[in-house]
Amino acid sequence: MHTVQRLGAIALSALVMTAVLALPATAQSQAVATRAESFIATAAARGLDLNLFGTRVTIGQSSALVNSTPMARASGAGVALVSDTVSTSEVNAANQSATPPKACVLNLPVASLLTVELACGESRVDTNNGAPSAFGAGSVAGVDLLGTTLLQPIIDLLRSLLNALLPVVDQTVGTVTNTLTPALGGLLGGLAGNLGLGTGSNVAPVSGLVNNLLTGIERATALLDVKVGDSTASAVTSANAVTATATAAGAQIDLLPGLALGGAPLLSIIVGQARSVSIFDRGTARSTPSFDAAVARVRLGLPLAGATVTDIPIQLGAPLTLLAGTPLETTISLGAGRTVTDPSTGSVASYADGVSIQLLKGLNGGIGLELAHAETGAGLLLVALGIRRRVLAAEPARTDDRVSQ
Amino acid sequence: MLIDLLRTKRWLRRSLSGLSVLLLLGGLGLVGYPFATNMWQDRIQARLGDQIASPELQQAYKERKIETGDSLTRIKIPALGVDTVVVEGITPSALRAGAGHYPQTPLPCEGGNVSIAGHRTTYGRPFGNVDQLKPGDTIELTTPIGGCVYQVARDPFVVPPTELGVIEPTGERSLTLTTCHPKGSAAQRLIIRATWVKDLKSA
Repeated sequence: MHTVQRLGAIALSALVMTAVLALPATAQSQAVATRAESFIATAAARGLDLNLFGTRVTIGQSSALVNSTPMARASGAGVALVSDTVSTSEVNAANQSATPPKACVLNLPVASLLTVELACGESRVDTNNGAPSAFGAGSVAGVDLLGTTLLQPIIDLLRSLLNALLPVVDQTVGTVTNTLTPALGGLLGGLAGNLGLGTGSNVAPVSGLVNNLLTGIERATALLDVKVGDSTASAVTSANAVTATATAAGAQIDLLPGLALGGAPLLSIIVGQARSVSIFDRGTARSTPSFDAAVARVRLGLPLAGATVTDIPIQLGAPLTLLAGTPLETTISLGAGRTVTDPSTGSVASYADGVSIQLLKGLNGGIGLELAHAETGAGLLLVALGIRRRVLAAEPARTDDRVSQ
Repeated sequence: MLIDLLRTKRWLRRSLSGLSVLLLLGGLGLVGYPFATNMWQDRIQARLGDQIASPELQQAYKERKIETGDSLTRIKIPALGVDTVVVEGITPSALRAGAGHYPQTPLPCEGGNVSIAGHRTTYGRPFGNVDQLKPGDTIELTTPIGGCVYQVARDPFVVPPTELGVIEPTGERSLTLTTCHPKGSAAQRLIIRATWVKDLKSA
C-alpha cells in the first residue's frame, strides 16, 4: 500500500513538474508566434545647402520613414521652409494611403538673392497589407543668382586682380621658372599638383590666359549657374526586407559662366550622385548599411597644360584651393561615405556625402555649397529613439541629465 | 507638541528616523553623482585611449565602418586644458565617455560641419568651461588616421534646445561644439563655432 502511495506521489510530482516547465514554454512559443514584428527605417537626402553671403537655403530635400506599427511618413521640398514647395504625407494604420498633389512653384524668389525657376516637392505613403512604404522627393529646375547686385562688385574685383597680375605675368613670359611665382601661386598653386606642373614648368601661356580673362569679363552676365539633380528618399517594406534608400542625384555649379574661352564657365564643378541604403532583414532582424559617395571633378575653362578645357578630379582628403590668398579664394573638398553600427541595439545607419565648396571666401563670407548628401537608418522599433536621434534628430544632444529642461 | 508625539508614538519616531536616513542617502547621492560619473568616465577614457591607438580601429576608420561608442577622435583645447577622446554617437550611453560625435555630420577634419556634443557638469565635464573660449583659440582633433586644427571663429553663443540648425552645413569647413546651458540644466544649448585652419600630418 505504502509503495503504491509512494509511486502515486512520485507520479503526481512529475506531473506537477511537467506542468510547471511546460506551461511557460507553451506560453512563450505562443507569444513568439503572435508577437508583432518590430522595425523602423528612415531615409533623408539633400540636393544642395547653399550659404549665400550668410543666408542659408536648402534646395531639394526629401525624407521617408516607416515603422511596423504600421506607420509611413514622407516629405519632399523643392526649397526647404518655403511651404508652397513642400509636400508631406502620413498614414498611421493598415491599408491606408495618401498621395497629395505635387507642390510646385514657378520662378520662386528666395531670400532676395536667387531665383529658382521651378521648385517642386512630392510625397506619397501607403500601408497596404500592413506593409508600410513612403516616398519623398524634392526637385528644382534652374537656380539663378540675382546677378545685378552681386555680379558687378565681383567682376570689378576680378578685373583689378587680373590687372595686378599682368605685370608679373609679363616678367615671366619666355622664361622657365623653377617654381611658379608667388603672385601666381594662388591661381596655379592648387592646380600644379593636379596638372603635373612641377618645377621647370613654362608659365608663358599664363599671359594669354590673363588677357583672355580680362576680355571675357566684359562678356560676363552671371555670377553662378547652379543645376541640382533630384533628391529622393524612400522606405519600402517587402515580404523579406525593409529597404531605406536616399539619393541626391548630383549637381553642376558654373562660376562666371561665359567668362572663359569659347563661352565656357571660368570654373565648373561637376558632382556625381550620392546614395545611401540601409536594409532591415525581416527574417533575421539584422540590418545592413551601404553607401555610394559622390565623385567630383573640376573643369577649368582655362588653357593650361596645352588643353583648352582642363578636367581635375577631386581626391578624398585632398581639398583643391584656387586663387588662394585673394578675395576670390575657392576651396573644393570631396566628402565621403561611412556606415555606423550600434552594437548594443543592432541598428545601423549609412551616410553618403558629396562635395563641399567655398566660393569667393573673401567676399562678405563668400558662397558655401554643400552638394549631394544622403543618409539612411534601419533597425528594431524598440531602438527607434536611437535611430531617430541619428537620422532625424530633433535637438542637439542633451549633455546634462541632472536637471530636466 | 511634535516632541510629545514623538515621545509617545514609537512608529512616528521610527518613521522620522527612516526619513532622515533616506534624506541623508539622497543628499549623498546628489553630491556624489558627479564624482561617480567622473570616475566612470575616467575608466571609459582609459579604454578609449588604448582603442584609438589600435591598428584595428585605424583599419575600421579607413574602411569607414564606425561603431557607436568607439573612439573617433581626440580633442585638445589648449586654452582650457581639455584633452579627451570623443566617441562616435550621441546616445546617452555613448556620451558617458564625455563627448560624442553627431553621426550625421562629417567625420572629424573632413569637409563640412563636424559636430561634437560634450558634457558640461558630469562624465568628466570635458566641455565644462567652453563658455570661456574666445575667437582665435585653437581646437585640435586627432583621428586614427590624421588630424587637423580649427580656430574659434566667434564668441560662444546660446540657442534654444530645439535649434538643430547649428549642426547643419555651414558652407565652410567647420567644427561645432554643443553642450547644455546653463550649467546643470538642459534648458538651452551653448554653441562654439570654429573654422578649419590646417591639416596635421597623416598617420
